[in-house]
Amino acid sequence: MEALVAFAQNLAGGLLIGGVYALIGVGLSLVFGVMRVINFAHGEFVAVGMYLTLLLYGYWGLDPYLCLLVAAPFGYGLGLLLERLVLSRLIDAPPDSTLLATLGIALVVSNTLHLLFGGEPRSLYVGYATATVRLGPVTLSVPLLIAGAGTLALIGALVLFLSRSEAGRAIRATAQNRVGAELVGIDTLAHHRLTFGLGTALSVVVGVVLIPLLFVTPAVGGTYTLKAFVVTVLGGLGNLAGAVAGGMLLGVVEVLGASYLAAGYRDAYGLVAFLAVLLFRPQGLFGRAVRRV
Amino acid sequence: MRPAEVIPQPAAFAVDRVLGWAAGCGVLVGIALLPQLLPGYLNLGIALLVLVGWATAWDVLGGWTGQVSLGHAAFVGLGAYTLGLGANTYRMPPWVSAPVAVLLAVGLAWAWGRVTFRLRGPYFTLSTIAVAEILRLGAINERWLTGGGEGIFVRELARPLGLDLFDRHVQYYWALLYAACAVALVAYLAPRRFGYQMRAVREDEEAAQAAGVDPVAVKLRAFMLSAGLVAFGGVLYGAYLSALVPHALFDLRLSVQIALTAIIGGRGTVWGPAVGAVLIVLAAELFRNLFASANLLIYGLLIVLVVLFAPRGIVGQWERWRVRRRYARSVAGR
Repeated sequence: MEALVAFAQNLAGGLLIGGVYALIGVGLSLVFGVMRVINFAHGEFVAVGMYLTLLLYGYWGLDPYLCLLVAAPFGYGLGLLLERLVLSRLIDAPPDSTLLATLGIALVVSNTLHLLFGGEPRSLYVGYATATVRLGPVTLSVPLLIAGAGTLALIGALVLFLSRSEAGRAIRATAQNRVGAELVGIDTLAHHRLTFGLGTALSVVVGVVLIPLLFVTPAVGGTYTLKAFVVTVLGGLGNLAGAVAGGMLLGVVEVLGASYLAAGYRDAYGLVAFLAVLLFRPQGLFGRAVRRV
Repeated sequence: MRPAEVIPQPAAFAVDRVLGWAAGCGVLVGIALLPQLLPGYLNLGIALLVLVGWATAWDVLGGWTGQVSLGHAAFVGLGAYTLGLGANTYRMPPWVSAPVAVLLAVGLAWAWGRVTFRLRGPYFTLSTIAVAEILRLGAINERWLTGGGEGIFVRELARPLGLDLFDRHVQYYWALLYAACAVALVAYLAPRRFGYQMRAVREDEEAAQAAGVDPVAVKLRAFMLSAGLVAFGGVLYGAYLSALVPHALFDLRLSVQIALTAIIGGRGTVWGPAVGAVLIVLAAELFRNLFASANLLIYGLLIVLVVLFAPRGIVGQWERWRVRRRYARSVAGR
């Protein structure tokens, strides 16, 4: 019985942290699906969100969840700027040049954070960070629950936006066939910019949501970038619903692996799954096999 | 047509060449005598030469064969740890552990390549990160072998030919020899059959296959060569650091540094990686006080600039400019 409770506890914890991973993965997957850009800077924007919250909280005592109102537009603007300055010039360049450019952006962002804030781990303490609710024998962290609910709401909104709005339709058209989209009068460049802005805003939001729970250092972005890659590859690159499932799966695999196998290899379980999927099921665990040119 | 004024003048060209050779010889003498001339920069010199060797070795796979790897730090770690563990645990002299390290790296590259070379382009790059990270986690967690996160300390090394391998002067010339051999090897391979095979695979795997080149075999050979060379540099780096920790040796950031050095200098050129290493190490030294520990900022800025404005890298762009100028002259002179 006790083992069962522990298992349920682990499963719940994994699903909750997986919700956050899903949100990171969705942004990366969206950017890849529309722009075919493998964004190495994705995780760095999470760190940007964390530091932004620290600043707002430190100067004005702004509650982390209120920071979202500032952070999301900030991330969107940052994304627009980077797309305009760098990525829009690389649309017809070979695929590894966008990878290298985003890697460069990642290095610039993380080292700039280092210069601004120093290398020590920082954290933000709010009273409710350690709050929990009990669900039968299982204890759940309140901030993670809020994060999970927020993830679902955001992803729902994103799916609605993509499927119902005119801009969303244009983004999907751009993703499917750029030339075709241009032929029917869609400004694909503008929609690339919109997409990258959205992707960046999503990752900054993740940073805001995570800072009450975790430490931040300037180097933390790389870890989140790797997690985002794992999530999107598990779910299928460019597949948003797949990214949600991939995130949950990664969270569960990590937590279960760490508790029942070797804890030190926590990060390795996801990477092994990542390699296996990349090699044997490149369309992702949930996607149908689609031949892409 | 105005042929008379644009015909290249042989005399001026010869002066150019003489000056070029003189400058080259001067640089070589300067490099060879650096420990005597600028003893304060000995550590910088070693770090620079090792990076030249690593970046040149990386370029065999990443530039000439076109398979961008962000996992080469694994081979650095393998080399350094083979030296350290060999000396500490098995009393293995460095002239045994160096070939062992190279063989281990070649074997690892073979297995690694067999599994991941079916992936192409960015997907191959992602897989290299994953493999290298798994190896890093292994190095941290397998305490019985690697001493875990605290790492190991290389206490003593047998002396080949009576040379103290912990002596910075010895290390400098060792690194010089290593860097020179790496560049010479690439210069030797480039105009030969294997060099053309690598480029053929980089440009178009299907076309290479149609021309009778086995892309997987070529990629595997390039990876094994590249890995062995990097591991040898890792052995040297292990002696240089003597305190070996997984966070420094197996780190993704080191892989990124090696790859970006070669890419900034110019992929698929003989001198590109060396030029990249010199540029970056000198720039980092220049701004050391300003940026302190944010040392990868320079890599980030340079790679963005290179991707945007000089996609072939510095040497690649320069070579292209020279070829175009020569062509323009030949057309004008006809």
